[in-house]
Amino acid sequence: MDDPKRKYVIPGDVITTGPYRAEENVHLFGDKIIATAVGISEIFDSGVRVIPLTGMYIPRIDDFIIGIVRSHTSLSWELAINSCYPGILPAQDVFGRDFDPKVDSLTSRLKKGDLIAARVANSDRSRDPLITIADRDLGKIEDGELVKISPTKIPRLIGKRGSMIQSIEGATKAQITIGQNGYIVVSCPEAEGLLKALDAIRMVEEQAHVPNLTERIQQMLGSNSE
Amino acid sequence: MGVKKSDIVLLDDKGLRCDGRKIDQPRRIMIKAGVLKNANGSAYIEFGENKILAGVFGPRDVHPKHLANTDRGILRCRYHMQPFSVSERKNPAPSRREIEISKVIKEALEPAVMLENFPRTVVDIFIEILQADGGSRCAALDAAAVALADAGIPMRDMVSACAAGKVADTIVLDINNEEDQEGQADMPVAYMPNLEKITLIQLDGVLTPQEYEKCVNTAISGCKLVYEIQKKALRDKFFGDESQ
Amino acid sequence: MNVSIIDQLKKKKILSLLKDGQRVDGRAFDEPRPLVVDTGVIPKAEGSARIRLGDTEVVTGVKIQPDKPFPDLGDRGIFICTAEILPLADPNAEPGPPNEDVIELARVVDRGIRESSMIDLTKLVLQKDKSVVGLFVDNSVTDYDGNLFDACSYASVASIMSCKIPKWEMVNDVPTLVDGQVSDPPITTIPVSVTMGKIGDYVIVDPNADEWSCMDARITITTNSNGNICAIQKGGDDGFTLEQLLKCSQISIATGAKIREILKKVSGS
Repeated sequence: MDDPKRKYVIPGDVITTGPYRAEENVHLFGDKIIATAVGISEIFDSGVRVIPLTGMYIPRIDDFIIGIVRSHTSLSWELAINSCYPGILPAQDVFGRDFDPKVDSLTSRLKKGDLIAARVANSDRSRDPLITIADRDLGKIEDGELVKISPTKIPRLIGKRGSMIQSIEGATKAQITIGQNGYIVVSCPEAEGLLKALDAIRMVEEQAHVPNLTERIQQMLGSNSE
Repeated sequence: MGVKKSDIVLLDDKGLRCDGRKIDQPRRIMIKAGVLKNANGSAYIEFGENKILAGVFGPRDVHPKHLANTDRGILRCRYHMQPFSVSERKNPAPSRREIEISKVIKEALEPAVMLENFPRTVVDIFIEILQADGGSRCAALDAAAVALADAGIPMRDMVSACAAGKVADTIVLDINNEEDQEGQADMPVAYMPNLEKITLIQLDGVLTPQEYEKCVNTAISGCKLVYEIQKKALRDKFFGDESQ
Repeated sequence: MNVSIIDQLKKKKILSLLKDGQRVDGRAFDEPRPLVVDTGVIPKAEGSARIRLGDTEVVTGVKIQPDKPFPDLGDRGIFICTAEILPLADPNAEPGPPNEDVIELARVVDRGIRESSMIDLTKLVLQKDKSVVGLFVDNSVTDYDGNLFDACSYASVASIMSCKIPKWEMVNDVPTLVDGQVSDPPITTIPVSVTMGKIGDYVIVDPNADEWSCMDARITITTNSNGNICAIQKGGDDGFTLEQLLKCSQISIATGAKIREILKKVSGS
């Protein structure tokens, strides 16, 4: 890589020494800052971090995610959110404050296998992350194709100020909903556009570390439509 | 087995070992990262005649639940030999040797894995010995460490392992099967190359205090060679041509 | 595996003492607990010992009987060493098949004795490839206060040193006991294991149960009568620096020499 402030690293690599803040995916050992994940290291302002290229989704408050309903108790649903912890969606969040477990049946609103667009309401070390759909644009997703990619590739799929995703949507007429957790829903009125959009997403996942990816994707989308 | 002691020359007058290596030369080592689809991380290693697969799952829910720890994740490791991995068929049930090796491998990796980030979860490491040769625990560890990094599990450092030993009164690097059977000492060592910590050391055989010091240093130099190969495996998978 | 809150509090206390150069029971860092050895405690066994290392107590018996040799080792007698933590030794011990800790314990004790070549197994052959003498050393932990590795190792060594080997003669290819004739075991060296725990960056010899429950890593180094190192096992969830390892080897040689004198005396050899 040309940029001296960015390097490819694997766990154990010493990124730099000196008075820097250790941010994400690094640890401080004496005055060394060491990578803890495979990825690209960045030195910015006075901090050092590694943008990982592999790893599991770690829920953070306010993340927009897509969840799959896995099961429910009488008070909440349990969602698969591509993390080591299940997401918990409380019934009150869907039924409102006058939810009564004796009267309301959870399966009347969300069933096993349903997809929902949601946000992380709370996440800490001691409990499974709390999920909410009580906001505009959140709730059950009615149709579309679910694609799973590594959550570490999501920033690349969105691109700088949304450039990548806008290129893909523009060229394929698909509507793409991206969860920070690596679950993506693609819907498109035309089958051809859908397939092209899926191809583009796969390509981003496989080549996330390659520079000038946006141009390559644009090329691919352009050449396919000819 | 079958070969009589007297048939093997462990170190000839040119200073070459029974497989033609020099005393400080490791066997051929090849590691490939990300070889399995279902595992979160995986690696395949060939280390001499060893052929070993390692797969990592997790962090994930702990079953049975009572094993879960509320302050940190737990690490589990299973080192398992295929019945066809050795000349005489091995009973597939885990032997006492395999249980002990599973434990020492787990303890060698534990200092590197940042389990405190994942309370109430488990990281499972499954190691399958497809073909066994001398030094299989070190080779298994090397593959497991690459598989952990491949899975994106946060690690303070890599863990690299290699054995040294004493053969024909000489300290040599990376003991093979014949040298293990007929030699005088075998010392597997695992090492965190950047934190400079030894996370596994065992010894079978007699060494003077001077030989002991030399043997540890020889093994560490082997670990550093292995470290470069582990790095290459991960770089090849994740950075492709870009990293060259 | 789960560290309890009590263990964490204990660790704080132990660590703060270590910083001041003190251990919980007042010992020096390189000082093992007093070792008391009685041999011949089980007359029906060919060799036996009861040892106390501090409050850790182990009873060990050696049974000796003729056996078939291992297929590829027809010119050697058999030596097998086991270990078990009896349910009465520890409220946390569970009866049933051994867990990985107990398996490791038995294998480490076995390895120290085997790799030192303490017993000259070539002297225990009745008829090559057909019949040899087997020594079966079974360690039973009866009371737990940490460091079972050394306790079982000392008990095994003491019971082997004190054993008497009956005489068998081959009659029509069958080993037959010759009554009233026994011999001393063919002992070449006296292996002594020394286990050290690492708490923080402090290395302490022979950790007791409190120290054991909160140490970060441990290492067992076995030395022979010549002061050479013949077996090592590192355990625990942390690593050692090279400097610490070299220091541990020196400690094991020095401490091992003192323990060896105690073992020699009780067995009268």
